[in-house]
Amino acid sequence: MMYEYFKNLESSLEKKINETPKSPNARKKYSLEVARIGKRLYSGKDKIAWTGIGVPFDILNTMGITSCFVEFVGAMLASTGASGNFIKEAENTGYASDSCSYHRAILGALSQNLIPKPDFLVGTTLPCSGGLAVIENMARKFKKSLFVLNVPQEDSLQNIKYLSDQLKDLVNFIQKETGINFDENKLKEGIKKTNKARDLMIEAYNLAKKIPSPVDSRILKDFGIVTALMLGTDAGIEVAKAYRDEFQAKVNSGESGVKGEKIRLLWIQNRIQFRYQLEKWMEEEFSASIVIDELNDITWEKIDVDDPFTGIAKRIISIPFNGKAEKRIEHLKFLAKEYKIQGAINPCNWGCRQGTGERGLISDGLKEIGVPVVNLEIDCIDQRNFAEGQVKTRIAAFIEMISN
Amino acid sequence: MLTNKLVGFTCSYTPLPLIHAAGYAPYRLFPLDNSKDSAGHILHDNLCPHVKKILDRGIDNNTPEMSGVVFMNSCDAMRRLFDGWRKARPNDKAILIDFPATSDDSAINFFALELSRLWKELWEWNGRVGDLSSIKQSISIYNDLYSLFSDVTSKIRKARLKDGNLKIQELYNKASTEPPENIIPILKNLQASINSALDNDSNSVPIFLFGNVLYELDAFKLFNDCGAFICDDDLCTGSRLFYPINITEEEDLFLSLSKSIFSRSFCARTFDPKYPLKFAEDILNKAKACNAKGVIAHVLKFCDPYLIRLPIVREILKENSLPLLVLEGDCTLRSIGQQKTRIEAFIEMLR
Ligand code: SF4
Ligand code: SF4
Repeated sequence: MMYEYFKNLESSLEKKINETPKSPNARKKYSLEVARIGKRLYSGKDKIAWTGIGVPFDILNTMGITSCFVEFVGAMLASTGASGNFIKEAENTGYASDSCSYHRAILGALSQNLIPKPDFLVGTTLPCSGGLAVIENMARKFKKSLFVLNVPQEDSLQNIKYLSDQLKDLVNFIQKETGINFDENKLKEGIKKTNKARDLMIEAYNLAKKIPSPVDSRILKDFGIVTALMLGTDAGIEVAKAYRDEFQAKVNSGESGVKGEKIRLLWIQNRIQFRYQLEKWMEEEFSASIVIDELNDITWEKIDVDDPFTGIAKRIISIPFNGKAEKRIEHLKFLAKEYKIQGAINPCNWGCRQGTGERGLISDGLKEIGVPVVNLEIDCIDQRNFAEGQVKTRIAAFIEMISN
Repeated sequence: MLTNKLVGFTCSYTPLPLIHAAGYAPYRLFPLDNSKDSAGHILHDNLCPHVKKILDRGIDNNTPEMSGVVFMNSCDAMRRLFDGWRKARPNDKAILIDFPATSDDSAINFFALELSRLWKELWEWNGRVGDLSSIKQSISIYNDLYSLFSDVTSKIRKARLKDGNLKIQELYNKASTEPPENIIPILKNLQASINSALDNDSNSVPIFLFGNVLYELDAFKLFNDCGAFICDDDLCTGSRLFYPINITEEEDLFLSLSKSIFSRSFCARTFDPKYPLKFAEDILNKAKACNAKGVIAHVLKFCDPYLIRLPIVREILKENSLPLLVLEGDCTLRSIGQQKTRIEAFIEMLR
């Protein structure tokens, strides 16, 4: 069923892109690659791994493993409107309703045998304790080997070495589990592609900073976190280039993403994953645009192809969710200034100890630089209690406040 | 080293001998229920009550004077507690120590480096330079404490001494907030007087108790009143507090300490990836080993490390016909008091 879904999605996107090759197609290309990853995960033919967020997908890709963080499944189920049933299923089997709904959706799908059996699993201590617990559950259920990356908090020499040594162990683990031999040259090639995609993404993000911005509120939704899955591949370069080109063309022609852009907003952490009309409504009602998402940024240096494990370790440690809240807040302040935003929206995904847990600290931090934050209480995955009217009222009041 | 200078700690993975060796008495910041409820403003209400109540204490200045606080990066909530503490008490000395989630060799080596970082920091708080020999002395004191606790606890539990668990918990609580030198003589006296001091309680039902934070004496009294006898426990505020520390002449002290911390009984957040959810089998084995007729889990609300692993524990216990009662706590006596009827019914069912 899932395989068919992704296969159909792939062919319909291919068709659309081929029909209008000249028109803006960055988001379509992105969605196409996501569909292809989904198709491979459910093909039953590819070597696959379920992972946590922050895993070095370039290493896995260059070893021929299709891999994906499990939260992606939660997001996908929400986008198809199916998450509610799976969340209910997880709660029926004893998983607490206070935990993150990304995780409950996956656990529900797991108990319904809707998650394909992986060849192995890779957990990370980043970004949350819940995610790691879910991966441990999955490893037990599938009776498949599990590798865990312990991500230290800070980028000291000691910590970078610890993590880069773990990455080397991960490579050995994958070789053992799959029989695939690690090829250093392939990784080098992959890292070149990672760096290339990185450069293009930086260019795209820099264009997004322009006033008015070439982005609308939807084009970069989930972009940073999901394109990580494509690192080390040509697809990653292709997608990043499509975005860069589309933004460049818009900037050249003076076209803004949101007509008459008036309000520039920062979205903190995850977007809402089910279908809803909030962003479009904000654009139409207030000419307000989400020009930057917290997770759409490059926080890491170019990786040295001759010392890839060190560079990848630094990249993982640099993820703003990792470590102390002050690091994350500094990053948010940086984005707020760079993108000249007037306000920030924090959905406070219910159950997330990471994002929601830091709510008060984030609000205070951004307040220090004069950026107000509206804290919502939305479950980004579970649509069942979504009170669209209330959320709109809060956002309208917030936008009114920042417009004055 | 008997001292009244305190260093706060919040997690039972904290290496207490290091704090002691640096000239402080480790002081556990229990999640007392007597501060204003304000942590939610700094963080969010959906964090575990353990962490929120500790932060409430910090915001309310409801703590003794402390030279600093050691936080372990053991879970999201603990990491947030560190962040919140720094916000609420910016002038306090505070350190966050990374603690890997898995127990492989590289994790043990890394944690040894973290321990040495802590050691240096503790002496910086002191304004002096540390002497490694003091670590050996402190380890030896904590080993004595461990042996006494395990001996006294096993005797009390074997003899099913009425109110014995209350006494044990009282001493665990004392040992968490006072220097070990204060506790050792009490334990020795108790050890000598065990048979005569307390009454036998053979009518109660043997229960294995596990979970995260449960330290209130009234909670243990409630178990007694409901007819349960805790024949063994696996709690952060109970048996997991003290463990044997093996050191040798040849090995680096921090490495030995790290190995010992990784060899003790784990709570849900630490595991061996080779045996996913072995935690569930460990619970089963411990319950069987103490001949428990049933298992009670006391788990705090919003605690992901436990709550996400609990369904598998339930499954394993069910497969082995060991009834389980889950009590969700919020670090108030009110919440556990409200569960009285459930506990009574559970015990009745087991009789
Ligand atoms: S939303 Fe929060 S709790 Fe959920 S997966 Fe993301 S970081 Fe973890
Ligand atoms: S009770 Fe759970 S969430 Fe809270 S500090 Fe302990 S392990 Fe972390």
